[in-house]
Amino acid sequence: MTASRPDHRALAEALRYRVLEGRGVSDHATRKAAADRAAGGPAMAVPYDDLASQIGECSHRVTDAQVQGVVQAAGSENAAFEIIAAAAMGAGLMRWRLALKALDEASDASAGN
Amino acid sequence: MRLQEIDRGDSIFNRLLIAFISLVSGMRLPDAARVAFYHKDFFGSPMGAWTQAAMRGPSAWSVGDRELMAALVAKWNSCDFCVGAHGAVAAKEIERSLVDTALADYRVAPISDGLKATLEFLEAMTLRPTELTSKSAAAVFEAGVGAEALKDAIAVGAIFNIVVRYANALDFALPTANEFDRAASMLLKRGYAS
Repeated sequence: MTASRPDHRALAEALRYRVLEGRGVSDHATRKAAADRAAGGPAMAVPYDDLASQIGECSHRVTDAQVQGVVQAAGSENAAFEIIAAAAMGAGLMRWRLALKALDEASDASAGN
Repeated sequence: MRLQEIDRGDSIFNRLLIAFISLVSGMRLPDAARVAFYHKDFFGSPMGAWTQAAMRGPSAWSVGDRELMAALVAKWNSCDFCVGAHGAVAAKEIERSLVDTALADYRVAPISDGLKATLEFLEAMTLRPTELTSKSAAAVFEAGVGAEALKDAIAVGAIFNIVVRYANALDFALPTANEFDRAASMLLKRGYAS
């Protein structure tokens, strides 16, 4: 029996839904704002903004102080982890959407020829 | 590792599991695995499911091709941990010298035109995502890559643009070359689903 091809769109949506809309320790609004910020979206409140934008733009320059600031503000390491995961996912899924758009448009153009 | 709860495990079961795996493997369990176990229902499960499908599921790309894509996405994001981890897995499927050449400059590496064009797309996706257009994808098609194969590669690119960011933000500890090699054997055998 041949295994079926992965449904990447469904798997990406399941990840997005779980991280941004599922139950967590941090609040949904902060997770959503971190995901948007890391994808180039609007600024967040201090100290979240520094960390989320750094994760989006230049994650290897994240500092201990940026992470500790979010642990303090969010109230726990667990909540900080959720915000870090949301920011990382936001930057990755922004690329996923833009790359799929390019692929879909090229496929449509190719089919039209 | 910047979050101590991830380092030590967030339940008695996970603490025992981390200790057991470290003992049996004779090396510190890499931080990537510790993250996969942590707060698993929130992130490790959905992330692991997509990663397993993209890296080990049916695809026109070999496992070695996909691991090389992951290592290059890591390089473009300056993530030494992920370059080491996925370069080591790729080296088990492709020749080490080929992996090293591709990591230094994939444009001169002895790889197929299709893989080169796909890596060029993934580089733009990683570093200049807003500049991607239908022409970017059409260039990959012209190199002989089909739409489904490009979608598979884009999934790898998206996943590792996520992975490298939390690896960097959490400051994953860097294993030795020997430890990367042993961890690569485990990743090939067990895959990514946590």
